[in-house]
This record gives sequence, structure tokens and C-alpha cells, in this order.
Amino acid sequence: MRDTITSLRYRYWPDHLLGEILSKRWTETAIPVILLLIVGFAFSRSIDNFLSPASLADTARQAGEIGFIALGLALVVIVGGIDLSVGSIFALTDFCALYLLDVAGWPVPAVVVATLLCGAMLGAINGVLVGYLRLRAFITTLITLIIYRSAYDLLIQRYSNAIASAFPDIPSWDFIGAGSVLGIPTVALAYIVIAIFGHIFMTRLRPGWHITAIGGSRRSAYNSGIPVRRTIALCYVASGVLTSIGALFFASRLGTVGGDIGVGLEVIVLTATVLGGITLGGGKGSVAKSAVGVLIVLLITNGLTTMNARGGVNRMALAGILLVAAMVDIRWQKNRTRIISKVYVAPTYHELPPPPPTEIGQGGPFEQNDKLRDVEAIGLGRIEAPEDVILDRHDNLYAGSRHGDIMRFLAPDYQKMEVFAHIGGQPLGMAFDREDNLYVCIGGMGLYRIKPDGTVEKATDETNRSLRSVNDDSRLRLADDLDITDDGLIFFSEATVRYEMDEWPIDGLEARGNGRIISYDTKTGTTRTELRGLKFPNGICVASDGQSILFAETFGCSIKRYWFAGPKKGAVEVVMDNLPGYPDNINLASDGNYWLALVGMRSPSLDLAWKMPGFRRRMAKRVPVDEWLFPNINTGCVVKFNEQGKIVESFWDLHGENHPMITSMREHRGYLYLGGILNNRIGRYKLDNADPNFVQYDKRWGKQS
Amino acid sequence: MIAAVRDFANRFLGRGDATITVPSFDGALKPNQKLEAAETLLTCESPADLATDDSKLFIADGRKLLSLNGSTASELRSFEQPISALCTLPGGGLAVALGGREVRVYANPAAEQPSTTFADAAFNAINALALADDNSLIATDGSATCGVDDWARDLLELNRSGRVYRLDHGNKSVTRLAQGLGYAFGACAHGNGMLVSESWRHRLALVSPGASPKIVLAHLPVYPSRLSKASSGGYWLTAFTARTQLVEFVLREPGYRRRMMAEIAPEHWVAPRLRSGRSFKEPMQGAHIKTMGVIKPWAPPRSYGLVIRLDADGQPLYSLHSRVDGINHGVVAAVEMGGDLVLIAKGPGRVLKLPLAGLAEEFRT
Repeated sequence: MRDTITSLRYRYWPDHLLGEILSKRWTETAIPVILLLIVGFAFSRSIDNFLSPASLADTARQAGEIGFIALGLALVVIVGGIDLSVGSIFALTDFCALYLLDVAGWPVPAVVVATLLCGAMLGAINGVLVGYLRLRAFITTLITLIIYRSAYDLLIQRYSNAIASAFPDIPSWDFIGAGSVLGIPTVALAYIVIAIFGHIFMTRLRPGWHITAIGGSRRSAYNSGIPVRRTIALCYVASGVLTSIGALFFASRLGTVGGDIGVGLEVIVLTATVLGGITLGGGKGSVAKSAVGVLIVLLITNGLTTMNARGGVNRMALAGILLVAAMVDIRWQKNRTRIISKVYVAPTYHELPPPPPTEIGQGGPFEQNDKLRDVEAIGLGRIEAPEDVILDRHDNLYAGSRHGDIMRFLAPDYQKMEVFAHIGGQPLGMAFDREDNLYVCIGGMGLYRIKPDGTVEKATDETNRSLRSVNDDSRLRLADDLDITDDGLIFFSEATVRYEMDEWPIDGLEARGNGRIISYDTKTGTTRTELRGLKFPNGICVASDGQSILFAETFGCSIKRYWFAGPKKGAVEVVMDNLPGYPDNINLASDGNYWLALVGMRSPSLDLAWKMPGFRRRMAKRVPVDEWLFPNINTGCVVKFNEQGKIVESFWDLHGENHPMITSMREHRGYLYLGGILNNRIGRYKLDNADPNFVQYDKRWGKQS
Repeated sequence: MIAAVRDFANRFLGRGDATITVPSFDGALKPNQKLEAAETLLTCESPADLATDDSKLFIADGRKLLSLNGSTASELRSFEQPISALCTLPGGGLAVALGGREVRVYANPAAEQPSTTFADAAFNAINALALADDNSLIATDGSATCGVDDWARDLLELNRSGRVYRLDHGNKSVTRLAQGLGYAFGACAHGNGMLVSESWRHRLALVSPGASPKIVLAHLPVYPSRLSKASSGGYWLTAFTARTQLVEFVLREPGYRRRMMAEIAPEHWVAPRLRSGRSFKEPMQGAHIKTMGVIKPWAPPRSYGLVIRLDADGQPLYSLHSRVDGINHGVVAAVEMGGDLVLIAKGPGRVLKLPLAGLAEEFRT
């Protein structure tokens, strides 16, 4: 009963998604967006017409103006600085535009260009001081804030009356401030265009990457040849220009040069920036975050104003929000990876019935024996981590090594060892195709092809991305074993899509179906995911009928059959389940049966833990990996099974002295060759009553009767 | 209320009592492989305890009482129950605990009938006998509910029912000196009190008549067991097995513990053991994976061999180890005899001998 509830709870509640979602970059944008929706919803419920078209258009105009300034500030913050003078620049460029238009009587295009130039110049002063003279951004822009503001105050004393008394009636000027296209205010349109460009600029263009790089680590950026000073200076210039664009729209909309224009603007924009999720430390941020932040801040200020809150309350609310946002930002940046690593591991319910007996005297197909005691060791201490072994028709022996090589031991005595090919990743399963190319699954890299002369080619390293997966599962993380069909279709297993190869114990701890089987068509070069949700799929072997493959699910402790052709195409059927150990590679035997390696044996304590996901989750958090309860992979065995899934024979090594671990085996001319991923040797065992001429892939491709 | 909230927060955050840290083998406990180099005097079925009267060595092996001369063992006598503790008395006498429930005192090892028999109803798991300074007999009883060999269950049930008794053969009375101990296992006279090993609390306590126990040595990375006097002052303290973070974690997981005890055979529990590596059904931990044919000696020990030499104040001086890749695990008794230290490694069922000459100098830094 309790187990049923646990099993249902873990089957239908996707625990693993939380960690996957949190590790996505877009969650940092998603949180401000959710906040925006909440704020919008709350105000629309408490204030009438809050979301009416007129109200929205008004909000959009303000949002556009402030949005431009926020974009500039975002740029400066991402590059690792801060610009407090935006409010004063805004005021000065507003004055500049109105003075040139109303007093000097310049034409509108000239006014626009001059205002932008004015903004650029004001920003450039900041840029030179901060970028080239390397003054502190905070103090510098605080000073320019005061200087620009004083200049503005002096200027409006002289010219405010002149500006206030002028009423220019220029349609193109009015269009800037009050016009709209298809109901959308011009300012909003302009903002959208520039924001889209800004997004492309920041994410796709070289200068954008430079800006992010400098914000992330100024020294590293400098060392990698990025013009740090110039880029920083230009960011301040851009901030000035963007502020002046905002000021232009503002000037055209209101046409005033009041004393309080731009006062406190830096706080609003800064709040928007931080609230949007742009880190004050630099190096992180996006246009979308800036836009969302502006909208939240505007909705709050407008909402509070509509609700007749006083100016002081309004400012207080903004300052409070800024404080909270900055705090959350700091804590999140500091603890993000820790939080993700705590919630990423999500064990699930995995029940196995009691295993069949293995003890001596208990009988049964798995009864232990000591047949493998006298296994001969090849390459002892010279080869490391031969997960799989394979032999060619000249009896040469190939095996992977953890140094990323395919090693070749030369027949007949296997004393001489040479590097056959260097790949760079851990070679796992291997198979020869009809043309004697060696296909190898490389953990962390994908499926590779090695020609008989030793040249290495990539066959595939990605498959189609599944729609329902949060993690991008198109890249192959742990290609494990493979076999090739008569039609040149390669089926290979990918043990897990959630972890890297060295993290296999975590996948075992989760015991979720994280793995899949993928096919690669050697004729067309296409890769396709065939089966998903498998519990660490491992060994693969094309069955004798030529229409199905047999595959092992290591943590599922079962062998299944998948039909890729014929009348039952697409069906999956259990061949053997509830094995007493963890199945690994499967290969053909000379008598038409199949060899199966059990890499480890089940222990009751882990079987019980697999039924208690909460226990394992806490273990993952509290106990270091070296102390975790593991699948026992120190003892294993080789079994032979037939087409019906019946065990014919088993081979054990009670003490595991000559060959401690078995991940694969390959029959060749009357001998069984054994591989083990944590071994420093290859095992060789003389088989009784085996075909002395059997060469697996020669028989497979009809080159041998 | 506050305590309950704090406990909950501790459990949730893995702090306070919920931490599973185990002290490291460091300082005087720095690992070596000395016990692996010890000479095997005798291999027997189930050695339980040792005693010596300075000339002869007595070994309790199951129900048999053996006497060892050189390396030949002769059976002195046998009992109807397994011997759980042994102690020689001044004047050639011998005290034996049988099945943990009864203590018999014999005037000499060959005597037909016991001179005194203590069979208090409260006796349940008497696992060590020692002499107090007034020559009365002290018995430690590990658990009120679990038998002598069922100590792993006592640990997993978090029992704290160990007791220390004084057995007076003069007036045949039994006095309880202490109770509520976390598995009392081993005692040795220290002044007018007794040093007692409190295994589940990983410490040595000084039990004195009329006073509450005083902690002498705490925070051991092992479960301490029997004590004996060293000839040059101080004590030999054996540790029958070592702590691991996994076991500490399981001790804080009531649900898993309950199901494990109910559903799994005891030899396959996640619990400390006297021997390990006999079956693949035993729990395996990450560091136990044999890599390139080697098991790391620093892997978390399911079983371990350790004797600690304590000074006269009960502080460790040096220690003799058999690490995870060794064999001589489960050291339950160590006594000095002549110039040698004789030990029982219960894991492989061995009686070991280690010459003491030069040992102290070797560890002096």
C-alpha cells in the first residue's frame, strides 16, 4: 500500500524537471516575467480601466521613453559599470532639443541629429573618465550627475521662458511625440525596433559578446585581446545616445523644461534594471530583462499614482523594491549553482522483485561456480579501462582505454600493444561493419567510425531533440554500445541524457528511465531516437531474426527486444527480467545463443533503497558520493542465454582475482575475451565445445559459413 | 516546543544532531597496517575473548575454553552455552560469562563446579568481565533487549540500555553501577572507578561508585570495545568496528532502518560488521569499487581492525590498524602477555600476536 502510493507519486510528479528548469538560463528572465504578470493582474483587478487601450497606450509611451534609458543603463551595467547621470543627461538633452527647435528654430531632422550628438557627447565624458582614465563608475557618474544637473539649472534660468512661450506647430515633430502607427505609439515602435536590434547585438554580434565578456571578467577579456577601455567608453556613449532618444520623445510629447525633469530618474531606471534581473556585478543581462523590468516599474508607479498615493510613497515603494531586488539578485547569483545541484538529483521509485538465487547449493541458472578462476590476463597493467573488446579476422584484439585510444594487441601472443587510433574520449561498445570499419561508441562524444587504416571519422554526435524534454537532449552524452543491422542501420544505446559518463552513479541513484536507443543510418547519415525512458540502456545486439535488437537495461535488470522491422515493427517485448545482477553488453555466441555480461550484482540494501526515493534524495544531499550506497560492480559474471530468454550457462569468478569486473565479452575462435571498464587487463578464457573458427563479424556479414 | 522546532530544522537542513560527520583517523589514530603484519597464533571458529594469568593464555572459542601454549591450543573444558566473556582472577581463579546471561566463577580453570554463579534476571548481554581495584568482578552488559551477537540490531534500534554491574563473590550480590549507556562493552579499573567503553556513543566513560559517569575520551571514529591494562601504564583499547557516514546517515533514517531490519537478512544490513566482502549482497559504497584491480584502503570501512594504546589518563598514544584492504578486522580483545600483545581478530577468526618491543619508540614523534 505504502509502496503503491510512493510509486504513483513518483510516476506522476516530475521531480526531475525542477532542477532542469532551474538550470536553464531563461529562468532568470522567467521570474521577472512572472512578477510582471502578477503585478499587472493585481492592478487590473483593483483599478478600473487599468488595462484599457488608452491607459495602455499612455503606459507604452512612458515605457518607451524610460525603456530607452533602461537599455542604455543595461548596457553599462552589463559591461560592469553603472551610470547615475542618466537623469541629468535626460534633462540636458531634453533642453537641447527644445532650445534648438523653439529658440534657434532649427528644422526637425537637424534637431534630432544634434540632440543625439549632444547625448553622445555627454556620455562620452563619462566614457573617457571611466573607460580610459579608469575612474570608478559610481563616483564618476555621481559627479557628472551633479555637473549636468547644475548646467541644466543654469540653462533653464535663462531660456525656460523663451521655450515655454513658443508653440511650434510642426507635424513631423508632433508625430514623434504623439503619433501612432496602427494604434501603436511611435515611441513604442521605435523602442521595439531598437530592442530587437539590441537583442541581436548582444547575443549574436561580436561587440555584444565583448561587452558581456568584459562584464564577466575584465581581466580575462583584456587577456584575450578585447579592447576593454574602448568598449567600456563606447558603452557610456551608447547610454548617452539612448537617453537622448528617450529625451527626444519626451520633449516632443510634453515640450517643457521644468525644474524637476529627470530628477530621480536614475533610481527608477536602476530599479527596472535590477528588477529585470540584470546583475549589478556585470556580465549578465539581456534586452528582454531590461524591458520586463521597465514594465514592472511603470505598472507599479502608474498604479500607485492612479490610486492617489503620494509622491513620497511612490518613491519609497520603488526604493524598497530596488533593495529587495538587489538582495535577491546577490543571493541568487551566489547560490544558484548550489541550489541547482541540490535539486537536480531527483531519485524515483524503482521496484524489483526479490532476485533469483545465486548461492552455491541453491540451484537455478545463476548458481555460482568458479569457472572463470583461471582466466588468463592480457596486457596486465598496460591497458586501462577496456570496456569492450573486439577481434578482427586476423585475430588481432582491439580494446578501448581511458586515455581515449583504441589499443590493438597483435596476434598470436597478444604481447605487442599499439595505439590503433586516438579519439580522445572513453571508447565503449565496438562493432565491425561489412567493410571492416570499426564503429565505436565514445562516452561524452558520440558514435565514431575508424577505418581499417586507423583514420577516425565522426559518424554522429546528435539526434533529434525531443519536444517534451526541458534539457536539450539533442547532443549525445553517453553513447554506450551498438550493433549494425544488415541494412546498415546502427542501433546504439545512450545510457543517460541527464548526466555525464563519470556521473553514472548519480543516474543509478535516480533509477529513472533517463536513457534511450538511437539509430544511425550509415546510408543517409541520419540519426533518430527510437526508444526513450529506458533505465540505463547498455548492451545491444541484433537478434538472429534480423528484424529485432536485444538490449540490456542495466538498472532495470532486464533484457528487452525491440523490433525495428517486420510485422511487429516498433514493439518492445521483455526477454528476461528480474536478473540477479546488472546486465551490460550482449554479443552473439558461436552456437547461435547470446552472451551477456552482468557487470555487477544486486544487493538487498540497494534494492530496498530503490523503493525509497526520499531516502536516496537525502543520501545524495548529505552523504559524499564515495560513501553512497552503490550498485555492487565488484563482482559479476557472464551468462549465455537463448532466443527465448532462458539462461543456458553461467560463468563466475568467486574471488575476482584474475579479472575483477566484467562489462563485456566477445567469443572468438574458441576463446572468450573479457573486458571490464575499471580493469587494467583483458581476460581470455578457453571455452569448451565452442566453434574453433568462429569470428563474430565475419559470420555476421556472411564471410564465414 | 523550541527544541522540537530546532530538531525539525536540524533534520531538514542536516545540521546539529542530523550531521553525519565522522572524525577522521588522525593524530594518534593515523592509519598504518601494523595488524596485518601480526603473527597468527591460531585460527578458530568463533573466538570471543581472551584472558591471561601471565603464564597461560585462555581463549574462549564458542562453547570451548582453550588454553594456548606456544601455538598449540588445547581444550580445557566446554560449556553448554557460548562463552561471551572471560576474566582471570587473582589466585588462579577464572570467571566466565555464558551466553551473556550468566557469570560463573571457578576457583581454577579445571574445577568441576563453579564456586559462585551470578544469574541476575537483568543480565542479557554480558560481553566483558574485568577486575575492580578491590578485586570484585565488574561486568558490562551491552543491551537489555538484544543478545550478545545481535549488537548490530541494538545499534540500529538506537538503544541506550547498556549497564555496568559489580559482582561481589564475597556476599554473592549484584550491584548496578551505571545504566542507560550506549552499549557498554569492556571495562578496566582506573583509580577507584572503572573505565567503560560506550560503543554507540563512541566514547570512554569513567564509572565511579556513587557518581554519574564522566567522559574520558570522546568523538572516536570507531566503536570502542574491551579494555585491558598495559604493563607500562595505560591501557589497550580495542575497537571492534569503525564508523562510516553511511551508517551514521542510516541511523538518522528511521523508515529505511525499520524496513531494512524487517526485510533484509542481518548479514546484508547497512551496519558495521566484524568482517566484510564475503558476499556481493553486502551493501557496497562508492569508494569500494575495485579500480585497476585495487581496493582502496581508505574506503569507508564496513569492518575494520584497530587497537588503540591509551596513556594512564585514557588519552590515545598510538594505534595499530588493519585497514579496509586488510583481513584482521573485528578486533574485540587485546591483552599483553610477556613482551607481546595478543589479540583476537574476530572477523577472520584469528588469535594474533604482535611483539611490543620497539613499538612505542616507533610512534614517538
